[in-house]
Amino acid sequence: MNLLPHILNGITLGLLFALIALGFMLVVGLMEQINLAHGSLFALGAYLAFVVVSGRLPLPVEWVREWLLVPLAWRYAAALVVAPLLTALAGMVLELCVRRTYGKDPLYGLLLTFGAAMVIEELIRLVWGTRDYVLPVPPSISGGMIFWDLIWSTYRFYAAAFSIGAIGLVWLFIERTPYGAIIKAGAHDSEIVRALGIDLTRLRLYVFAFGTLLAALAGIIVAPIWGIRPHMGVDAVVPAFLIIVLGGVGSFWGAVAAGILVGLVVGVSGAYASEWSLLSMYILLIAVVTFRARGLSGKKSLLEA
Amino acid sequence: MARHGSDATQLVTPAMLAVVGVLASLPLWIGQVGLYPYIGIEIVIWAIYALSFNLLLGYTGLPSFGHGAYFGIGAYAFGLFQQNVLPGLWPCLAAAAGAAALAGLVVAAFISHRRGIYYAFMTIAFGQVFWVVAIKSHAITGGEDGLLRIQRAPADFGIVSFDLRDNVSLYYFVLGVFAVVLVALWRLVNSPYGRILQAVKQNETRAAFVGYNVWLYKFSVFALSAALSGLAGGLFAMAQTSAFPDVMSLHYSGYVVMMTLIGGGIVSFWGPVIGAALFLLARDAIGAVTTAWMLWFGLLFMLVVLFKPEGIAGWWQDLRREGGARRPGLARLRMLFGG
Repeated sequence: MNLLPHILNGITLGLLFALIALGFMLVVGLMEQINLAHGSLFALGAYLAFVVVSGRLPLPVEWVREWLLVPLAWRYAAALVVAPLLTALAGMVLELCVRRTYGKDPLYGLLLTFGAAMVIEELIRLVWGTRDYVLPVPPSISGGMIFWDLIWSTYRFYAAAFSIGAIGLVWLFIERTPYGAIIKAGAHDSEIVRALGIDLTRLRLYVFAFGTLLAALAGIIVAPIWGIRPHMGVDAVVPAFLIIVLGGVGSFWGAVAAGILVGLVVGVSGAYASEWSLLSMYILLIAVVTFRARGLSGKKSLLEA
Repeated sequence: MARHGSDATQLVTPAMLAVVGVLASLPLWIGQVGLYPYIGIEIVIWAIYALSFNLLLGYTGLPSFGHGAYFGIGAYAFGLFQQNVLPGLWPCLAAAAGAAALAGLVVAAFISHRRGIYYAFMTIAFGQVFWVVAIKSHAITGGEDGLLRIQRAPADFGIVSFDLRDNVSLYYFVLGVFAVVLVALWRLVNSPYGRILQAVKQNETRAAFVGYNVWLYKFSVFALSAALSGLAGGLFAMAQTSAFPDVMSLHYSGYVVMMTLIGGGIVSFWGPVIGAALFLLARDAIGAVTTAWMLWFGLLFMLVVLFKPEGIAGWWQDLRREGGARRPGLARLRMLFGG
């Protein structure tokens, strides 16, 4: 069997996994805070994008008709901007609750965001029901192409390119702006950071919102592949958490590498036993973490206490 | 943590008698309040499950967030053992607890050196593994269609044998199991072993420096908790006369955490029981009005985590501490609930 297509597929899938984990990683890495609602916010982003693209807005019928006359590519682009911003607002509301757990046992933050995940998922069910939706994408990025006598989905390459862009952006934010270091320091000693005259409360709010925005973006990008359904949140948050643990908390490239590794393992095992390919990432995690307690390149973290 | 007061040395406490007594009268009045005996079965089974879960979260401070796996393994083991090996009730329940204990031992061997969030996530990961296996092993477990046609075998005590096909008789059977579990767990948490578990919760490093083999305690209590969860799962398979993979999902694993925390498992032996009853009653009461009952329960859970992580039992304890001395009525109630 020619493995090359599976490997390429695995890498594109891995980049998607890295994208899904990106916002989660930002919040864990900088704020030492587990956001289990990440998956639900990811789903919320996808639903909101669907609303924008398909024009199912609570607006007068004429406006909606006008909006649907706009080319799909423009509507999609609008969704790519509007949906993450709206989701980020929801993330800010969540941060107002989560901030009460800073400095406490990290379990409280985990439990609180688990509750929030339940609430958001139920809200989604309440508003949109349990049925599946399909997010329409512009023809320029959908369809397929022939390469090596095989049909490839154009969208997967678009999604992979998008992931690379997002990963680069987040890396710039963490490494090339002072905010990354400030917030990281704040997680370890908030008193000193505040004494230096930095408004840590507001910074954390923005970082959390940025993480949420990334979750929503990932949701929009993944939606055409997975479909939009209430359960997609859980399907996203568990791999995101897994990738962080596998890569090592606090390591940016560790997480990106873990994402690609997970994609490769799922992609290649899918070639042999597609039914069981989901299991392979857990086995990979257990195998790695048994020998390397902090994942591939993790550092000591507050979350271990 | 001297949270059990003078009752700690007793085999059967007044609170146990009160709780089991009230529950025993349930079939007499449950119809009058618009409910049905089956919910009693569910409450008692989930109370056993939550109590065994709280052995980890409340007593040892171990966040096991994939605990549904052991409940589900118990349910499947009960059904598969009945259909393929021995049909009797006792061997099936033993198989349920045994299979879950075995799974618990394997998982515990991998995770007992970890703590905190890492521990939480590794339990989630193992829970997902068992869940995926249950769904995908269609030939054995029936996949998402579930394992059907599980019988409610009669409870045979040698001299007498009780038919459990009727919901009320099954209710009294699970209540009997519940009473036994209560006594056993009460002895366990108040034994030297239980004290050391609480020492591990307070400070793992210190417990290790004092000379206890912390790994062994974490390992054994996890397997024990898994075994009891499996027992509850076996009873649940009997109640449902089938076994489904959804009890092993992340959602259901989360429900037992929610029950335990809302009830007050962090500070009280009785927290998980209160939480299980509240959860299932809320499901039926709010569920009758709106399908989105989890929305409201989730919000309640968030409020509890934010403002009262000690849960209902903790709130009750505060109330007693403030007003107990002044109000003799409350002081008398205190005798009932211990705490």
